[in-house]
Amino acid sequence: MSNTVTRIRVAGAVVAAAAGIVGLAACSSPAPSGNASAASPCEPAKGKVTLQYWNTVPGMDQVVALWNKNNPNIQVEIKNISNDQYGTIGNALKAGKAPELAQVGYDELPNLRSQDAFVDASACADATAAQSKFVPWTWSQTSFGGTGVFAFPQDTGPMALYVRSDLFKKYNLEIPKTWDEYATDAQKLHDADPNLSITFFDPNNAEWFNGLLWQNNAEMYSYAGDKWHVTVESDQSKQVAEFWQKLIDAKLVRTDLAHGSTPMYAAYQKNQIATYVGAAWGYSMFRDNLPDQSGKWTIVPMPTWGSNPASGDWGGSTVAFMKGNTHLYESVKFNSWLNTDPEALALENKLGGLYPAATAGASLPALAEGVPYYNNEKIFDVFAESSKNIDTSFAWGPTQKTVNLALQDAMAKAAAGNGKVADALAAAQASALKSMQDQAIPAVAGN
Amino acid sequence: MTDIATRATRVVPATGGRRRQNGGGPRAGVIVAFVIPFFLPFVLFYLVPIAYAVWQSFLVVRRTGGQYGTSYTTFGGFEQYVQVFQNTEFWASIGRIGLFGIVQVPVMLFVALIMALLLDTPLLKLKSFFRIAAFMPYAVPGVIAAIMWSFLYSPQLSPVVDLLKAIGLQPDFLGPGAVLWSAANVSTWLWTGYNMLIMFSALQAIPQELYEAAKLDGASNWAIAWKIKVPIIAPSIILTTVFSIIGTLQLYAEPAVLRQISSNISSTFTPNMLAYAVASGNNYQQAAAISVVIAIITFVLSFGFMRLTSKRAGL
Amino acid sequence: MNNQTPLRENRVSRTAAMALMFLLAIYFLLPIYFLLVAATKPQGDLASTFGLAFSHFDLFKNLSTLFGRSDGIFARWALNSVIYAVLGAAVGTLISALCGYALAKFKFRGREFLFSVILGGVLVPTTALALPLFLLFSATGIVNTYLAVFLPSIVSPFGVYLARIFTAAAVPEEILESARLDGAGEFRTFFTVALRLMTPSLVTIFLFQFVGIWNNFFLPMVMLQKESLFPITLGLYEWNGQTARVSLLQESVITGALVSIVPVIIVFILLQRFWRTGLAAGSIK
Repeated sequence: MSNTVTRIRVAGAVVAAAAGIVGLAACSSPAPSGNASAASPCEPAKGKVTLQYWNTVPGMDQVVALWNKNNPNIQVEIKNISNDQYGTIGNALKAGKAPELAQVGYDELPNLRSQDAFVDASACADATAAQSKFVPWTWSQTSFGGTGVFAFPQDTGPMALYVRSDLFKKYNLEIPKTWDEYATDAQKLHDADPNLSITFFDPNNAEWFNGLLWQNNAEMYSYAGDKWHVTVESDQSKQVAEFWQKLIDAKLVRTDLAHGSTPMYAAYQKNQIATYVGAAWGYSMFRDNLPDQSGKWTIVPMPTWGSNPASGDWGGSTVAFMKGNTHLYESVKFNSWLNTDPEALALENKLGGLYPAATAGASLPALAEGVPYYNNEKIFDVFAESSKNIDTSFAWGPTQKTVNLALQDAMAKAAAGNGKVADALAAAQASALKSMQDQAIPAVAGN
Repeated sequence: MTDIATRATRVVPATGGRRRQNGGGPRAGVIVAFVIPFFLPFVLFYLVPIAYAVWQSFLVVRRTGGQYGTSYTTFGGFEQYVQVFQNTEFWASIGRIGLFGIVQVPVMLFVALIMALLLDTPLLKLKSFFRIAAFMPYAVPGVIAAIMWSFLYSPQLSPVVDLLKAIGLQPDFLGPGAVLWSAANVSTWLWTGYNMLIMFSALQAIPQELYEAAKLDGASNWAIAWKIKVPIIAPSIILTTVFSIIGTLQLYAEPAVLRQISSNISSTFTPNMLAYAVASGNNYQQAAAISVVIAIITFVLSFGFMRLTSKRAGL
Repeated sequence: MNNQTPLRENRVSRTAAMALMFLLAIYFLLPIYFLLVAATKPQGDLASTFGLAFSHFDLFKNLSTLFGRSDGIFARWALNSVIYAVLGAAVGTLISALCGYALAKFKFRGREFLFSVILGGVLVPTTALALPLFLLFSATGIVNTYLAVFLPSIVSPFGVYLARIFTAAAVPEEILESARLDGAGEFRTFFTVALRLMTPSLVTIFLFQFVGIWNNFFLPMVMLQKESLFPITLGLYEWNGQTARVSLLQESVITGALVSIVPVIIVFILLQRFWRTGLAAGSIK
């Protein structure tokens, strides 16, 4: 053994030394490359083209199969990247192996753009013309305020409140219209049945919390004077944080359930939770996971802050033109079909629960009819109304992913009774400034 | 290719024709032929990537242009390392994993040792059943083990929680205080059998004569186990300890899966998770620096432990 | 009176030892039993029925759903896992054996230095290697191919360490000498004489490497983009990540997990005789 000990000890030094030598020989510092934002040419290719399209949408294989059948010369291959969506995209970018098209959430667009992840498709006439086909705030985010065409909007997540109407009826409660009423109902439900909570607060879901901030017009980032201005910690955001803090302190909301997890569905299944603060795409999750509760759910507008009818957006995605895409012409063709063609939109809505970002989506038969699971109520009218009440000037930061992680970690501490939700805003604010500094992006705190 | 081949040949004696007197030493070419099939891939797939990571850790990001200007990397000296050392999350994760290791590694190895010793006595029946039972978790991939255990921890789904509730307990395996030990349990479950087997094999290799005399003198099984067997297999115990220390510092998959159902596992719970989180925030250079620091801590702890024990055990 | 004490001690210890071992066996087997039970249940019963009791026996239906999903992709993943693990471990064992044998039996300058470098490799976190490897492989164009997973998998510094120790213990110098005197070359001696003596040890090395490759998911996750190249672990991990939105996948993840560990357990039990001798041979050094 003593021999082995010596050997391993020597080994450390040797590996370190060898590593150093090879490293210096193999690598050289890359210099800044050409102008990133120049539009790329838009020429149709000669012959057959195969496009890679990465996404996380359930059932997308069937949508793409439909396209492939009708377009033998523009074939699309898909890959599901639900696990670690942005890690996968980030690695591929770093290796210069990005797909032609990738699903990117609105909140990650600035982040990826700051890594020079996209190409500008505005040389394609069809791309610039697409503007009129989408809900304005979505186009504003994909075009970065009209400076190019980097992605097409795919779906949005206008928020609404899912309510177990049977439980509310049972305890003689009105469906809440404001957050104050919501908090009162939370207390009443809990008094009536100690095992019943009005909802759950998942600290590991920054995207959801950001949607709530958006609803309260808590602008987190703006760009002016060559700098980002970080206002994650603001009076509006603190108001939201303190509201949830009160519910957590009074143990009126569950904090032990992860959104979308089997335990979460089990809690709903066991009638332990009476509402769900959700987005449009969630309608199919409840329908598919809780078939026994068909007819018990209704969907109503979000509770509001005072009399302001504002709503927020949670999730939703775009399909972005990725760096290295040499088939922009074909990519634009497929991308517009994917996100504006009624047949494609209907299929995506049916299989993946997507709520289209295209304005034409609202008139899809599937979205105009009542949904059997929800007592044949026209739930999409609620989401359409919500969509109209979303603040269009809300913007995401260029290091959103890191900030989200910091927010989540600090919210988890608060949920565990170790700190406050408002502290999480401070942590997120600090993380935003620090991460931008690491990426050499100029930023200051406050307006 | 040729460069690496030349470097490898330099390892063998330049005096290729020299043969030992008893005729045992083969020519240099033969030795190279034996060694190179392993060593070449080793250089390409181990040493080169390590070197690459070390190089990355000395770079920093700079940017030209405005809001979405072009970024590039340049040599930044120890800047990334300074940040790692100032990062409280990093030291918190090291502290957490340290606590984890100080408790989990001894518990696991103690259980493994007891099992190995028992299997080596005449006290037990059904030995091969116990051996296979203990070894079986080793066949389960870490990711799948964590998915299984997350079912067993979840208050909504777990039969174990149901049973404990039936006897009046209120377990919270995923709570802020308990979740570290729940993660430790997954590691213990996965690796106890493997460690047991290494120790057991060492016990099996001890010649019987070594303790026949003690037996005749009336020494109990316990006395034989602790006074004779354990000191003899000390090298195996040290080896398993070193592997366990390395494994602890690299912990990633199990807590990452548990995180999907418990927010009490933060994104920076273990050093490797922190490194991955930093990398996924595009800060590859800082992530590389964190990896290098983790590797250095691993080296220091492993060597430190071996040095300490080999001196004390007089090995 | 005097010789009754050890007897009683014996009976008490016997009972205590058996009881302890049974408790531990339950601990080790319970989660696997849970997996087995869960794999036989319909999706809806997973959360609503007691986890350790069988409910509706749907194992065969679950298996056919599992293998029927996405045009039978699971069978493809299983085949890939077999290819990566069997071929990778076979090639890996051979090159480890060659190298370990050379380190044990040939004396040459720099031998200990070489061994130290290789041993240092044991300490390197393989997760830390995956990302730099991916970037390097991208430059050569072999990401997203079988080779991207296969090539790094064949390298096992621990295998070389074991091979050296095992060779020293199991291959006596005299036998090699006599083979050499008969005029056999080094390679012939290795393949006809040494390899046979090393068999139990090689089985051990093979098994460790087989399990390592079979269980690895981080490397394939970083390297592979085409689903058709995935090993089982990565495929199941990917499905598990989709269960939030496609919850019906949950049952297939569980059934798939059971299917993925069965072959490894069978291999363990079949090769038991070999790896036990193999480990024993190397363990006293």
